[in-house]
Amino acid sequence: MKADVLIIGGGIQGCATAYHLARRGVSVIVLEKDYVARNASGVNAGGVRLLGRDMAEVPLSKASMEMWQALSEELGHDTGFRRQGLINIAVDEADMDTLRAREAKMRAEGYAHERIICRDELRARLPHVNPDCVGGVTSELDGYAIPYKATSAFRLAAERHGARVVEGEELLSLRRVGGSWLAQGSTTRFEADTVVNCAGAWADRIALMIGDNVPLSHAAPMLMITARMPHFAKPVVGAVSRQLSFKQFGNGTILIGGGAKGFADRAAGRTRLDYAKLAAAARTTAEFFPIMRRAAINRMWAGLEAYMPDNLPVIGPAVNAARAFHAFGFSAHGFQMGPVVGQVMADLVTTGHSQFPLGAFRIDRYDRKVL
Amino acid sequence: MQAFDCAIVGAGPAGMSAAIRLARGGATVAVLDRATRAGGQIYRAAADNPLPDAAALGPDYTEGAALIAEFERADITYFTQADAWHLGDDGRVLFSHQGDTRELHCREMLLCPGAMERPMPIPGWTLPGVMTAGAAQVMLKSDAMVAGGAIFTGSGPLLYLIVAQYLRLGVPVAALVDTTPRRNYLDAAPLLPRALRCLPMLTKGLSLLREIRAAGVRTYRGAHNLRVLGTERAEGLRFNAGGRSHDIAADTVFLHHGVQPNLNMTRAMDLAHRWNPEQLSWQVETDAFGQSSVPHVSVAGDGAGIVGADGARAAGRLAALNILCRLGRLPRADRDRAAAPDLAARAAMAPFRAFIDRLYRPTDALRLPQDPATLVCRCEEQSLAQLRAGFDQGASDPNALKSLTRCGMGPCQGRQCGHIVAGLLSDWRGEPPEAVGYYRLRSPQRLLTLDELSRFHAASAQARAEAAE
Repeated sequence: MKADVLIIGGGIQGCATAYHLARRGVSVIVLEKDYVARNASGVNAGGVRLLGRDMAEVPLSKASMEMWQALSEELGHDTGFRRQGLINIAVDEADMDTLRAREAKMRAEGYAHERIICRDELRARLPHVNPDCVGGVTSELDGYAIPYKATSAFRLAAERHGARVVEGEELLSLRRVGGSWLAQGSTTRFEADTVVNCAGAWADRIALMIGDNVPLSHAAPMLMITARMPHFAKPVVGAVSRQLSFKQFGNGTILIGGGAKGFADRAAGRTRLDYAKLAAAARTTAEFFPIMRRAAINRMWAGLEAYMPDNLPVIGPAVNAARAFHAFGFSAHGFQMGPVVGQVMADLVTTGHSQFPLGAFRIDRYDRKVL
Repeated sequence: MQAFDCAIVGAGPAGMSAAIRLARGGATVAVLDRATRAGGQIYRAAADNPLPDAAALGPDYTEGAALIAEFERADITYFTQADAWHLGDDGRVLFSHQGDTRELHCREMLLCPGAMERPMPIPGWTLPGVMTAGAAQVMLKSDAMVAGGAIFTGSGPLLYLIVAQYLRLGVPVAALVDTTPRRNYLDAAPLLPRALRCLPMLTKGLSLLREIRAAGVRTYRGAHNLRVLGTERAEGLRFNAGGRSHDIAADTVFLHHGVQPNLNMTRAMDLAHRWNPEQLSWQVETDAFGQSSVPHVSVAGDGAGIVGADGARAAGRLAALNILCRLGRLPRADRDRAAAPDLAARAAMAPFRAFIDRLYRPTDALRLPQDPATLVCRCEEQSLAQLRAGFDQGASDPNALKSLTRCGMGPCQGRQCGHIVAGLLSDWRGEPPEAVGYYRLRSPQRLLTLDELSRFHAASAQARAEAAE
């Protein structure tokens, strides 16, 4: 199979890149070893969060947040996005100091999307919160989406513009010969002028095939979801200094995250859960929201996710090969960035430039450092 | 935290038989079971039946009492009302017991999850008043409750058994609507001569049918195009039989067309499974002793492929022998010598099982929903039409379809719809069930309150804390 661009990985970054390229008339093939949204893009917590981003990510994340608001209409398929607001809760004055310091930094950069809220506003918006909590910070554009649906929406929109998605086909080798990339899949050979590496937790292996080394690791962040409960929390909830994170979906189920990691067995494509840490997450959740004690946990799982040492993604051109680009290593907060990353990658592929500063995301930023 | 040579999950005929044999062999055994008293589904309440005369339920049931008595006498650590919610292939078991999560470790694990009824997704199958024949059994055995004037529909030995039990107790039955296709008799006929070697089993089955006929129950054969009547609740059954349509009124309709292994434990442990084309169901892969693809995990009884109560007892004994051997408590030669009679009996039963499987093989029309409006996933209320729409949007894998439609994500975690979804995708993709696969199942195996989990302090966490000191 031949195309202008071969994208490795059918997650949200790969599918969004395919969408933005295909609508510009570029011929695209997405190669996915399992099925679209099988891994981190389909089983993550669904948080669409601008609040608390690393400064280097804020421009991208802000632009992406604007895109999320009308994304379902643009793609013609429901992403499940709901703008609910996000509140990070402060438990004490030390947390409030942290928030005030952050606010000063954000103001200095000219950002105004994060707003500190007082105890009364916290209580008004989250009536069931533990009364000891002193305040928090909110971002009103934030919310959640349904990961599988959002990724699938990009895929379907990309296909409508002519992109081809090949599932169940693993990339075995990749070579640059003349002006072409020759890719050998498990059953099919592919040829393209350009490759884009969106392979998530497997992206270091693809980077190696391209010729770039990268200190990528992987882990298995764990999640649990409850049976339906009466609605008690509209905003997505986090905490300034504690491992608390949950959201109540429209159907009443509550997804509890918090970043606790299980065990990742990438070779076997499996994850295992660490129940002691899940129990700790349950304790934290119940401390903040006593109403949650009655919640019934229905399912616990973990997904394989790629992490960079600085928790910032790799976004940009390959350094050791021509016509190759990377977008991976989002370190458990890439889902929200999917829409803008698709656009950035399409810009890089078609023009070689992006309107966003990408210096912090260079793949070779660790080349001279000792980790 | 306690450690055992073997932990057994499920105290039905397989689990009890295995536990008795293991204890006799000197192994330390823990048995976890959800019920208040051992017995499983088939021997449910056999030890303390509430009926004035349990003999009406038949000798196959009452003989369970002796096994339960022997089990309860044996040197076994038996946790009643214990709900295993996580089974690790490292031998770690987490289970709810008296409101708290407890943890135990075992060298060997034996899963005896038993069978569950094959869903029969005909139009109206989710209406109040529609139950499974198994539910009728549970009500009868546990609570001596019956539903007079009910329709029994479907096919297979358990359906005829419950009808016969009702009749013996003098409970009126509105009709037996038998869906066994005429073609099945032709298909099964060539298997009959070999099955005749298991004459006692055949005569047992035939006498059930004779008993029903002698009682004069209205019986229809070769029924198809079934639909439960009623909008708010069941009011009767409509079906075709004998070349014309019938409407029969009833408040209760019991459905049954066979049982299949309960896959939740074996799938959640990621044990290797294979598709059984005779029983039209997935089953865990094991050797003759029930040892799975994870050597220290064995599976016995109907949970490893439908074998019936006697077969399950034998499977439990065989698994126990092998586990004793693996524990170093029984030389291999002794294991094989002791196993010979049960292995021979199993081989002798195989022709009968093959005959029964073929005769009562469910039709696709009853196994898979036909009407677009019929619900497939009861928990999340997903209809056939909604699943098809999801498939048309590219979700051709059971897990992708689950992610897209929420089918199988509700409190039952796909126990009901798993086989249906796999069957539908197999049809739609034009590929065998093996290519389609099955849901990835996840802990907890039952709903677990956040409160209970929050009070759990794993042994591993304590070990970490000790290491830190």
